[in-house]
Amino acid sequence: MNEEELQHHISQQFNIELRELRNQVLGMGGLVEEQLTNALIALTTNDQQLAKRVYSNDYKINALEVAIDEESTRILARRQPTASDLRLVMAVVKAIPELERIGDQAERIAHMALQMSGEPQAKHFVAVNHLGEHVRQMLHDALDAFARIDVEMALQVMREDQKVDHESDSVYRQLITYMMEDARAIPMALNIMWSARALERVAAHSCNICEYLIYFVRGKDVRHISLEQVEQRARQAR
Amino acid sequence: MNNWWKSGDPWIWLTAASVTVSIVTVAGLLSLIAWHGLAHFWPAAILEADYSENGSNKQVVIGEIRDQESIPLSQLQAAGVKVKGEQQMTRILLKTGNRDLFGADFRWVLQLDLQNQRYPPELMAIERREWGNFYGYLQAIKEHGQVVSEGAGAWPELQQRLDRVLQLHQQIRTIEKFKIGKLNYELEKLRLKQRRLELNHDTDPAKPVALAAQKVILQAQFETLNQQLTTLYEAIQRDSISANVMDGRVVNIPLSNIVKVYRPNSFSFLDKARFYMAKIWEFLSEEPREANTEGGIFPALFGTVIMVLIMSIMVTPIGVIAAVYLHEYAKQGILTRTIRIAVNNLAGVPSIVYGVFGLGFFVYFIGGNVDQWFFPEALPSPTFGTPGMLWASMTLALLTLPVVIVSTEEGLARIPSSIREGSLALGATKAETLWRTVIPMASPAIMTGLILAVARAAGEVAPLMLVGVVKLAPALVVDNNLPFLHLDRKFMHLGFHIYDVGFQSPNVEAARPLVYATAFLLVAVIIVLNLTAIWFRNHLREKYKALETA
Amino acid sequence: MLPPVSPLPLGEGPGVRANPPSTIITEYMTQNGTTLTHGIDFASLGRSEPILSLDNEDLCVEVKNLNLYYDNKQALRNINMQIPRRRVTAYIGPSGCGKSTLLRCFNRMNDLVDSVQIKGQILLDGNDIFDPAVNVAELRRRVGMVFQKPNPFPKSVYENVAYGFRLQGINSRRILDEVVEKSLKGAALWDEVKDRLHDNALGLSGGQQQRLVIARAIAIEPEVLLLDEPASALDPISTLKIEELINELKAEYTIVIVTHNMQQAARVSDYTAFMYLGELIEFGDTATLFTNPTKKQTEDYITGRYG
Repeated sequence: MNEEELQHHISQQFNIELRELRNQVLGMGGLVEEQLTNALIALTTNDQQLAKRVYSNDYKINALEVAIDEESTRILARRQPTASDLRLVMAVVKAIPELERIGDQAERIAHMALQMSGEPQAKHFVAVNHLGEHVRQMLHDALDAFARIDVEMALQVMREDQKVDHESDSVYRQLITYMMEDARAIPMALNIMWSARALERVAAHSCNICEYLIYFVRGKDVRHISLEQVEQRARQAR
Repeated sequence: MNNWWKSGDPWIWLTAASVTVSIVTVAGLLSLIAWHGLAHFWPAAILEADYSENGSNKQVVIGEIRDQESIPLSQLQAAGVKVKGEQQMTRILLKTGNRDLFGADFRWVLQLDLQNQRYPPELMAIERREWGNFYGYLQAIKEHGQVVSEGAGAWPELQQRLDRVLQLHQQIRTIEKFKIGKLNYELEKLRLKQRRLELNHDTDPAKPVALAAQKVILQAQFETLNQQLTTLYEAIQRDSISANVMDGRVVNIPLSNIVKVYRPNSFSFLDKARFYMAKIWEFLSEEPREANTEGGIFPALFGTVIMVLIMSIMVTPIGVIAAVYLHEYAKQGILTRTIRIAVNNLAGVPSIVYGVFGLGFFVYFIGGNVDQWFFPEALPSPTFGTPGMLWASMTLALLTLPVVIVSTEEGLARIPSSIREGSLALGATKAETLWRTVIPMASPAIMTGLILAVARAAGEVAPLMLVGVVKLAPALVVDNNLPFLHLDRKFMHLGFHIYDVGFQSPNVEAARPLVYATAFLLVAVIIVLNLTAIWFRNHLREKYKALETA
Repeated sequence: MLPPVSPLPLGEGPGVRANPPSTIITEYMTQNGTTLTHGIDFASLGRSEPILSLDNEDLCVEVKNLNLYYDNKQALRNINMQIPRRRVTAYIGPSGCGKSTLLRCFNRMNDLVDSVQIKGQILLDGNDIFDPAVNVAELRRRVGMVFQKPNPFPKSVYENVAYGFRLQGINSRRILDEVVEKSLKGAALWDEVKDRLHDNALGLSGGQQQRLVIARAIAIEPEVLLLDEPASALDPISTLKIEELINELKAEYTIVIVTHNMQQAARVSDYTAFMYLGELIEFGDTATLFTNPTKKQTEDYITGRYG
C-alpha cells in the first residue's frame, strides 16, 4: 500500500474524494499539532496571548471533525468503499475523534498556562518541557506516518509511548517531591501535573492513530495487545 | 431390453434411421440420373458380328451395344420367335444407325445369334446433320463426284476436308443466323413503322419515301448476303464420301451433312476421354437437332437460367416490400392475420392453377391490352398477347411470392427491437431505420426465401407450358438486336425439354439417355443457383451475426 | 495521473510537514478573500463538491403533470419534476415503477407503442415536446438515448459512429473522420479501437460496445443523454468505466439515467429521483437522498427494507 495505489480508481471523482478526505485529516492533524506546540510554548514561556489564542482556536478543530465526519458518511453512502478504501474511511472516522481529543488536551494545557499567569518561572517546568517536546515529536511522527502510510514509523511511535509513560511517571514523582518539599507549590505543581497528564493522554491518542494506520495498511486490528504482538502482526505479510 | 427401451436409445436410432433413408434416397436419385445421363457421352466401341436368325443365312451386323437384358425364353416364344436353349436368354440392343437405309436406328438381337464378334479399328462412325448416325467403312473420297482418294490415305484426307467443310458451315450459319436474322428483324421493324403510319393516318408524304429508301438499302444488303450464301453452298457441296454399310451397300454421303467422323475402335483411353469432354461441351453449348434427340440443349439451359433470374428480380422486391408492410407498418389485427393465412395458402395452390391464371390474366388480359395500346401495328399477330418469357417469369414470380414473403417476415421478426430503437433514437425515421439497418440485417432471411423460390421455380414445368415454353424456340431471348433482351419471345426450358424428349420423341431409344442427361443438368443448374445463393447468404450472415447473439 | 487538487502537499515534498512553524497559526488570505488555515477553506468545510440545490440550477427539462396510460392502465401518475442542465439525474425504484417509461417519454420513444396515451407536458428548454408541430426525429437528435443492452449496428465501428451524421445526409469523409475520432475520444474508446475502426462493431466486448453506443449517441451532439440502465448487462469493471464516462460527460451534456442499481445512482448522480408505483416519491440531491431521505418509502427502499 502506498501513495500511488490509493489513486488508481477508475472513477476519478472517487480518487478526488479520497484524497480530499486524507488531506483534510492531515490538515486537521497539522492544526492539532500546532495547537499543541503553541500550548506548550504558552505554558513554558508564560505567554498569555498565545494561550488565549490556542484557547480560542479549538473551535476550528471541532468544526473540522464534524466536516470530515460528514464527508466520510457521504463517501460511505455514495461510494460503498471496499477493502483498503473501506479501511481508510474507517481509519479516518476513528482517527478524527483522537485528533479532536488531542486538540482538547492542547486546550487544557493552554488553560493551565492561563491559570498560572503571573506565577514566577520555575525550575519545575524543565521536566514537563522535556516531556512536552517528546510527546509533540510523537504526535508529529504519528501524523507523518499517516501522511506517508509508513507502518515502520507508526511502530516506532508506539514504542515511544512506553518511554513517554516512564517519563511522565518520573515527572509525577518529581512533582510529588516538590509538593512534599513546599506546600505553597502544590497548586502550581498540580497544574503542571495536569498538563503532564494531558501530554500523556496525547501520547496515547497518537498511539491510537498509529493503530488505525496499521489497520488501514495491513488490515490487522492491533488494539489491546502487547507491543511485541503488534510488531509481529504488523510485519506479517498481508 | 426394457432398460434399453427406457434409455432413449431407440429414439436416437429412429431419428438416425430416418436421416439415413433421406440421404440414401437423395444420393441414389442423383447417382442414378448421373450414371445414365453422363454415360451416354462415352464413346462406345462398334461391334461387328455375323448374325444368323434361327440358323438362316448369315448376315453382318455393325453397331454400338447400348443395352443388354435377360429375358425368359417363354416370353420370346410367346412373341413368335423360334428359339431353343436355356430358360434365360440374353438379348442385346444394338444401335445400328443408318436410319435412312434400315428405317430404324436400333435393333434387338439375341446374343446367341451373334457369332464371330470383332471390333475392327477401321470401323467408322459418322454423326450426321440428318438421319442420325452412320456406321460403316470408308471407301473413297470424291470431289465433284470424282474419286480423289482411296484406301489407307483416305482417312487423313477426310479429316482435312471435313475441317474445311465445317468452317464453311460455320460461315453459312453466321450469315443465316446473325446477319440475315438481323436484316429480317430490321425489315420487320420497317414494316411495322409503315403500318404505324397508316394507323396514325399520318399523311406526311416524306415518311413513306424515307422508309422505302431504307427498305431498298436493306434489300440490297440482303441480296449481297444471298449471293455469298450461294457461293458458300456451292463450295460446301464439293466433297462427298462413299462408304460401305453392313449389308455391303455403298452409300454416298455429302461432307456438308457430316458433323463428326471418328473411329472409336481405334481410340486410346485418352482419346476417349477427350471425345467425352467434347461431347459434353457440345451437349451444353449446341442447339438441338433432329427433334431434340441429337445435338445439345443450350437454348433450354439458357432459357431456364434467364427465366429464373428474371423471376428472382421480380419476386424479390415485391415479396420484400409486401413483407415489410405486413410486419412493420400494418396495424396488427384480424386483417393482417387474414392476409398472412391467405399468403400461406397461396403457397399450397397447385402450380398448374397458376399457369391457368397466368394465361388468362397476364397473357390474354394484360398482354392483349398492352398490344392494343403499344403494339397496334403488329396486330393481328400478337406481341405480348401471347405466351412468352415475361409472362412465364411473372407467373412463376407469383407462384414463389408466398415463400419470399413468409421467410422475409420471419427474418424481420428475428431482428431485435433494440436495433430499431437504437436507430430511431439517433433521429432516424422509420423508413431510414428500415432501409439502413433492418433490411440489411434481414437480408440473409430474404436470401433464404429466394433460395427456396429459385429451387421451386427452376423445377416447375406445368404452368410454363401454358405461359411461354415451347419445345423448339426459333431464337434465344437474348440476341444482338436492340434491345437485346426480348421478353416477348417464347423460350425453351430444361424441365419441359425432359418432358418433350422423354414422351413426345419419335425415337424413344435415342431419346432416353438424353432424358437422363437433361434431368441431371436441370438438377445441376438448380444446385448451382442454390449454392450461389447459399454462399451469398452465408456471407451476409457472417456480416450480420448480431442476430444469433442478440 | 493525479488531478491538480492537493492544497496540502503530502509525503516527501520539499519543505513539507517537517517541523511546522512553532509560533503562530499560519493564516493567510487567498485571492478570493477566504481565510485558509492549513490549506483548509473553513468557509466551505465539508464540501468536497459544492452542495447542490435545484434553486441554483439552470433547468433543462421540466415535467409538468405528466400522466401516462397503457390501455387505460395508468403507468405514470402526475409527475412533476425539473431536470437541471449539465447534471446527472438518476431514477431509482423497484421494477415496474415507471422509471423507464418516464425516461422514454423524454425522446418520445413511447410513440412506438400503439396503446400509450400521454397527458401533461414535458418542456425541453421551455418548449413542449408533445406539441404536434414537433418533428420527432429532430427531437431525438436533441435527446439521445442509450439502452440497457449494447445495441451496436452490425456495421464497422466507424459506420456506427457516423450513422447519425449519415442520416443527416453528411457523407464528407473529412467531416466524418473528425466526428468519429472526437466522439470515440469523448466516449473514452478511441485508444482501444483506433486501429480497428473498420472492423465489425460486434467484435468488441460488451463494455466497449456500450461505450461505442454512447459515442454514437454523442456524435450528433444532443443536449440531453438518456441512459436506460446502461450498465446492467456489463461486468463490474466495464460498469465502473461507464460510470466514470458519465462523470466526464456531464460537463457537456444533461444526463438522465435510469438504474435499478441504487449504488450506481449514488455513485454517478448529482440528483436522484425515487419512483414507486408510477409516482415520483422523492427528488433531491443525491448526497442528501442517500444519507437522509425525507420520505419513509425512500428510506425503506434504499435501505433494503422495501416490501
